[in-house]
Amino acid sequence: MKSVTSLRVDVLEGARIALFSLRANRLRTVLTTLGIGIGVATLLAIVGIIQGLNTSFHKQLASFGANTLYVSKFPWMIKGDWWKYRNRKNFTLEQLPRLRAMAPFITALSPSVSRLSDVSYGGEQMSSVRIQGVNHEYLSIAGFDITGGRFITEADEEVTRPVAVIGADVAERMFPGISPVGRTIRVDNRSFQVVGTLSRKGKVVNESMDLLVLIPFKTFYSNFGKGRPFEIAMAVADASQVRMAEDQLIGILRRLRATEPGQPDDFNINKPEAMAQTYAQLTGALYGVAVGVGLITLLVGGIGIMNIMLVSVRERTREIGVRRALGARKRTIVVQFLMEAASVSAVGGLLGTTVGLGTAKVVSLITPLAADVQTTTVLGGVFFAALVGLLFGIWPAARAANLDPVEALRYE
Amino acid sequence: MSDGSGAGNGRLIQVDDITRVFHVGGEEVRALRGVTFGISRGEWVAIIGQSGSGKSTMMNVLGCLDTPTSGRYMLNGKDVSRMSDDELAVIRNVEIGFIFQTFQLLPKETALANVELPLVYRGMAAKERRERAKAALDKVQLTHRMHHRPNELSGGQRQRVAIARALVSEPSMLLADEPTGNLDSATGEEIVRLFEQLHKAGHTLVLVTHEPKLAARCPRAIRLSDGSIVADGSGREVAMAVAGPMVAGV
Repeated sequence: MKSVTSLRVDVLEGARIALFSLRANRLRTVLTTLGIGIGVATLLAIVGIIQGLNTSFHKQLASFGANTLYVSKFPWMIKGDWWKYRNRKNFTLEQLPRLRAMAPFITALSPSVSRLSDVSYGGEQMSSVRIQGVNHEYLSIAGFDITGGRFITEADEEVTRPVAVIGADVAERMFPGISPVGRTIRVDNRSFQVVGTLSRKGKVVNESMDLLVLIPFKTFYSNFGKGRPFEIAMAVADASQVRMAEDQLIGILRRLRATEPGQPDDFNINKPEAMAQTYAQLTGALYGVAVGVGLITLLVGGIGIMNIMLVSVRERTREIGVRRALGARKRTIVVQFLMEAASVSAVGGLLGTTVGLGTAKVVSLITPLAADVQTTTVLGGVFFAALVGLLFGIWPAARAANLDPVEALRYE
Repeated sequence: MSDGSGAGNGRLIQVDDITRVFHVGGEEVRALRGVTFGISRGEWVAIIGQSGSGKSTMMNVLGCLDTPTSGRYMLNGKDVSRMSDDELAVIRNVEIGFIFQTFQLLPKETALANVELPLVYRGMAAKERRERAKAALDKVQLTHRMHHRPNELSGGQRQRVAIARALVSEPSMLLADEPTGNLDSATGEEIVRLFEQLHKAGHTLVLVTHEPKLAARCPRAIRLSDGSIVADGSGREVAMAVAGPMVAGV
C-alpha cells in the first residue's frame, strides 16, 4: 500500500486538528482571537469612516454638476504665491459675449462674484451669508432648482433690480413656516426683495451650499463695488465634453486675454473634479496614517498568534513526535499548525469585521461622519487577518515540522 | 549463532556495518560501531543491552526515525539508509508499527481515533479507516473501550491500544521499545502473551529491551554492548549469559 497523502488530506486533517485544538484551549483561543480581532476592527472602522467621508464628498461634489467649468484668474486651491494670481488681469464683462461666440460648445454662462454679508429680516439676523452676483443662466449651471417663486431674469439684470433668490438655509431660518417670496430682506443694510427660493444642496466638506443669497450680477456690482474680480461659471452639453471643452477653452481664453505665446496661462479653469483631486491629496496622508495605525495593531495581533503558536508547538512536542513516527510528513505538520494559526486569525477577522463595521455604523449614527464600508473592504479584512495568521504561523509551523522525531518522542 | 552477514537475501531486515556517530559538546560519541545482522520475515527478535549499549539508537535506526552515519540498512528490499525525510515518513507509515514504552497515545483523542491515525496519513477514506481501526481494536480485545480516551484506560489497555495502532496499517514489522517497562508484572505478562499470539499469526516482531527475562521469551535475541553485537542466538541462551538462569526467569 502506498502512503501518499495529498495536500487535500493534509489540509482536511490539519483543519480537523486545528478546530480540535482551538476547542480544547478555549480561553487561549478567545484571547488570541481578540488580538487579531481588535486589529481588524480598528482597521475596518478607520477605513469605513474614511470611505464614508470620501463617498459623501464625491456625492456632494457631483451636485456641482459634472458638466460645469469655472474660469477665474484664481485657482480654487491656491498653492504658493497668492500675489502671482492676484496680479493677473481681471476678466471683463465685455469679454463674455466674445467668449460665448468663440466657444459655441458652452450651453450656459454666467459671471459670478461673491462676498460674505449679514442678512436680516425682522428681528432675525444671519451673519457670514454668501451673497453671490450671477445672471439668469446661473440656475442651470449650478444645479439648483427653484422651490418657490422665480429665478433672476434678464430684465432684473438690465435694470439692476434689487431682487434676491435665497438658499434653503436662509429661507428656513428667516421665514420659518411662511413663504419668503415677496418679502424684503436686508443685506448689509440694503433692501432686496425675495423673488424665489432654491432647492437644498447640502454640505461640501462641512460647508453649507445653502447659506446663500443670489442677486443679479449688475445689482451686486452697483451695491458692493465694481472692482471685484469675477469668476465665469459655464456649462457644456454633457459631462463627456468637459475635457474637450477645457482643451479648447485654453486657446480661446489665451486669445481673449491676448496672452503672449510662450507665456504661461494667466487664468485657471476650475472643475469640481480638480477639487476632488486636491481633497484626495489632503486626505491621502491622513488615510495612510490611519491605515498604518490599524496595520500596527494587526501586527501586534500577529505577534500574539506567533507567541501562542510557539507555546502550542512546545506543549505538543510529543504529539508531533508521535505523528511523525506514524507517518506524518513535514508538510503535514506545517499545514496542521498553519491551519491552526489561520483559523484563529480568520475567526478574529470575522469578529473584527463585525465589531469594525458596527463601530463605523455607530460613528455614522452619532456623529456627522458618514461611514461606508464596501464589500471589498470586508473581504479584504478577513483575508488580511487570515494572511496575518498564516505569515505569523510560518515560523512556529516550521519549528514544529523540523523537530527531530526521536527528540520529540522523548520530550517531557 | 545466527548468520549475521549480509549474504542472506530475501530477509525483511538486513543491516550491514551500520555506524551511528553523535557529536555531543564537541565530543564524538560512537553509539553504533559497525553492526551487521539480518531478520527474516515472521521472526521475533529481542535486541537487548544495558543503558548506553546503543540499543535505543539501533531501534531509532530500525524504525527509520534516524539514519545511520555509515553502512546500509535494507528494509523489505528497499535501501532506507539514504532516504529523504519525507521518504522515511512514508516507510514508517507503511512498513513499521511502533509500540512505545510510554504508549505515546494522543491524550485528547479516543482509542479509536488513536488507532486510526496511521491510516489518516495514508490518505485513506474515513469510513474504511474506521472499519480497519475497529478490527485492529478487536484483535487486542478492546472494542468495548474504543470511545474512551487514554486517561480513562488502564496501563495494559493503553498498551493494547498502542499495539492495535501498530497493527492497523498492516506493517512489515512491529517495533516495540520496552513494551512492558511501564506495566506491572501481571499486565506485562498479558502483553507478552499478546506478542506471542502475534508471532504465531506470522507477524515480524522486533523488541528492544534491557530485561533478560523478556528477551528469554523471544526465539532470538541480539545483545549489544558499547555499540557492537556481542551475542546473537536464542533468547534463552543470550538472556542466561547476561543474567544467569534465575534472573532470566528461565
